[in-house]
Amino acid sequence: MPSALALASTGRRRFLRGAAAAPLVCLGRPAAVRATEYASASEVLDTIDRREVEVAGRLAAIARAIAGAQAFADSVASDQAGHRADRDKLRHRLKLPASSVPAPPPDLSLAALREAQQELVHAHAEGLPALGDAGAVAVLARHLVDASRQLTVIDLWIEAEELRA
Amino acid sequence: MRDGRRRFVVRIARAAGVVPAVLSLIEGRGEALPRGQETDFAILDAALVIEHHAIAVYDTGLQRGLFPPGLRDRAVEFRGDHVGHRDTQIAISRERGGRPPEARAHYDLGPLEPGDGFVRQALQIEVAAQEAYTALISHIDTRDYLLSAAFILVDEVRHMTVWRRVLGFRIY
Repeated sequence: MPSALALASTGRRRFLRGAAAAPLVCLGRPAAVRATEYASASEVLDTIDRREVEVAGRLAAIARAIAGAQAFADSVASDQAGHRADRDKLRHRLKLPASSVPAPPPDLSLAALREAQQELVHAHAEGLPALGDAGAVAVLARHLVDASRQLTVIDLWIEAEELRA
Repeated sequence: MRDGRRRFVVRIARAAGVVPAVLSLIEGRGEALPRGQETDFAILDAALVIEHHAIAVYDTGLQRGLFPPGLRDRAVEFRGDHVGHRDTQIAISRERGGRPPEARAHYDLGPLEPGDGFVRQALQIEVAAQEAYTALISHIDTRDYLLSAAFILVDEVRHMTVWRRVLGFRIY
């Protein structure tokens, strides 16, 4: 099915499956699919901010063009507002500077939206080990759940569009 | 509903011998565990109990033709993901000198309904897995296991969301 194929084609999923087949998680994965190693919590949060703004911009542009997308866009915007507030609290508690992120150019491509959402998911997942704070991991893990759910919704959406075509 | 799911995952974890401290975390009433190798082993064991159970659910459904015909490929894919999660975590445990729990010889899955009824059963274990990983992940000490657990969690959420969609539940 398209969504499964799309997900299975991602580098990180190949990494996990490869790791399952070949015993050691950190060994034997090709450099091309190596997970991003973040150096600090600040870098993780900055990356998530950038990815989230990109998703929001792309989804807003699509929702303006496709009436049926508005409910999903509103739901994602609501989740993202909560996540931003949580990250602001984390930055304050961990004494990290605020970030400012420029909005991306509008784009109506579902594939580009999917790519942006996937990068947001990966930024959360790959960022957890760099946070160095159990409370921050717990918060971003909950955000990871939301972002992963949204990625799956986009996959199902793409799948439905392909079936319709 | 949430309490029911929690009771479900706690029941299977307790029956498999998961330590009380980790059970408390899954129940949402646990204190912070000391971060270190012992806690990682306890979490690995709990996660493996859930993965073994999930594989048993999918094996049963596939072998007995309980999934709706159009969803069989999806079930095969999700089973494969759980096998990957199991093998990854067994490898991590053994690499550190652990003795990961094996699958039980028999799983009592209760009444087996075909069609949507069995999709609901698959959804139940996926929700349990997602909630368990979400509850436990912040207590993991080592970077490699934390990274693996994060990507496993992504899979569990995907499985859960697809089954929720199939059953007509809200997904956003």
